[in-house]
Amino acid sequence: MLLNRLLPFLLVAVVLAIWEAAARSGLWNRLLFPSLVNIFQELVLFFTNSAYLMEAWVSLYRALGGFALAAVVGIFLGMLMGRSKLVAGMLDPFFSGTYAVPKLALFPIFIFVFGIGSLSKVALVFLECLYPIVIMSYAGARSVNRVLLWSAQNMGASRADTLRRVVIPATAPFIFAGFRVAVPVAMIVVVITEMVASADGLGNLVIYSLSSLKTDRMLGGGGHRDPRLPARQSGRPRARPVDILGKARHLLRLRGTP
Amino acid sequence: MALAKASLLIAVLLIWQFAGLPDYVLSPLEIARHFVQALGSAELYEHIGASLARSLPGFAIGSFLGAALGLAAGTARWFDRMLSPAVFLTYPVPKIVMLPIFMLWFGIGDLSKVLIIALACFYPVFINAYYGVKATRTILVWSALNMGATPASVFRRVVLPSAAPMIFAGMRVALALSFIVMFAAEMINARTGLGYLIRIAENSLRFDLMYVSLLSIAILGYAGDRLVRFTHRRLLAWQEQPA
Repeated sequence: MLLNRLLPFLLVAVVLAIWEAAARSGLWNRLLFPSLVNIFQELVLFFTNSAYLMEAWVSLYRALGGFALAAVVGIFLGMLMGRSKLVAGMLDPFFSGTYAVPKLALFPIFIFVFGIGSLSKVALVFLECLYPIVIMSYAGARSVNRVLLWSAQNMGASRADTLRRVVIPATAPFIFAGFRVAVPVAMIVVVITEMVASADGLGNLVIYSLSSLKTDRMLGGGGHRDPRLPARQSGRPRARPVDILGKARHLLRLRGTP
Repeated sequence: MALAKASLLIAVLLIWQFAGLPDYVLSPLEIARHFVQALGSAELYEHIGASLARSLPGFAIGSFLGAALGLAAGTARWFDRMLSPAVFLTYPVPKIVMLPIFMLWFGIGDLSKVLIIALACFYPVFINAYYGVKATRTILVWSALNMGATPASVFRRVVLPSAAPMIFAGMRVALALSFIVMFAAEMINARTGLGYLIRIAENSLRFDLMYVSLLSIAILGYAGDRLVRFTHRRLLAWQEQPA
């Protein structure tokens, strides 16, 4: 019984143990296999250092901003397509035709159109998240049980009532299934765009750590302080109020734009 | 209805063509002209070949492992309890962040890119295969067992066909993902490939080249998707198609 309880953790534990053994064996360079202890230290540093939390926040608001916009527009479009044959006929070929096309390829053009700051990234997240949400809410709105619609109409419900009391509740599970696909997509797109072109965010932090060969920081995503250096010289500069103000301005600009 | 379908597309193209957009947004006719021109030169094919040489093996490895392990985890309980928690835990992690680590481990060349694509493709196929097996109707399994089928033939004749549509759905997602990850990996670090092409085009402000590589990757993605759907329809012709 105990073995049964422990089984889910077994594989994780074995992989972690092999990693730690590989790190300590000295067969590989420590830069390639940083010890788990170091990674964990970096992680703790990450969560206690406001500068790095700021990077995480930047990534998060880009992902969530794009996702939220996509959710609003996507649900609206999907429901509209589900309720109106004409709109579906116009939009469905577009969405199903370009579904498999990697929208990421548009990123360089988005940089020219929206600038290299947050807006181009939010726009790309919006576009990538829009597809699963539209397709799922369309499928949901289309599959509303006819009998329920007829009963509601028969009992004298207005169009608005039918939408609010029948169509939306029936579509909700599909919409949430779309969200479940869209949220990881949002994170992927944010990290990729930050890796390709950005001066902040977690994706940038990973690339920055790679170029400075701080593999433990890369894996932990945190700030590493080299013990051989005096504290003031090592690591990246501390968060100053100026930085945070700059980030705040960044945020406000983003909110003001569309 | 056909008119309604085409009308939006035509309207968008017309506005795009005549709206007087800034330099960096080429008009559809110009893009078509540059694309036809690029098709005549060997350079584009080299980059397309390099990109496909990364994405297709990655997609094949990732979906094969995903399908095999997903079927195994859906069928065998001990395997499920061992593997599934690790897979579902790491599922929402953007796999592309592993690229720098893979580059350190497997070198900066194609191997690290193929492996990162395989990793990204593994997850959707695994999860769909897993749920596909779980969604097998118990009554079918019971009937088969009742009629004296061995566990192996139950798996082959009942569980596998019932999970197949889900696996194909997972492979469709994985194919789209393989192009995204391939493109991202090439933009971050490569000397060949469409992602690289779009990167140097951007750096040298060659907008024509940028749109040509954009269009090629769009066509590749679309063609790949069609291919998966075609195979699906061929292999599972007996299955009721959703409208």
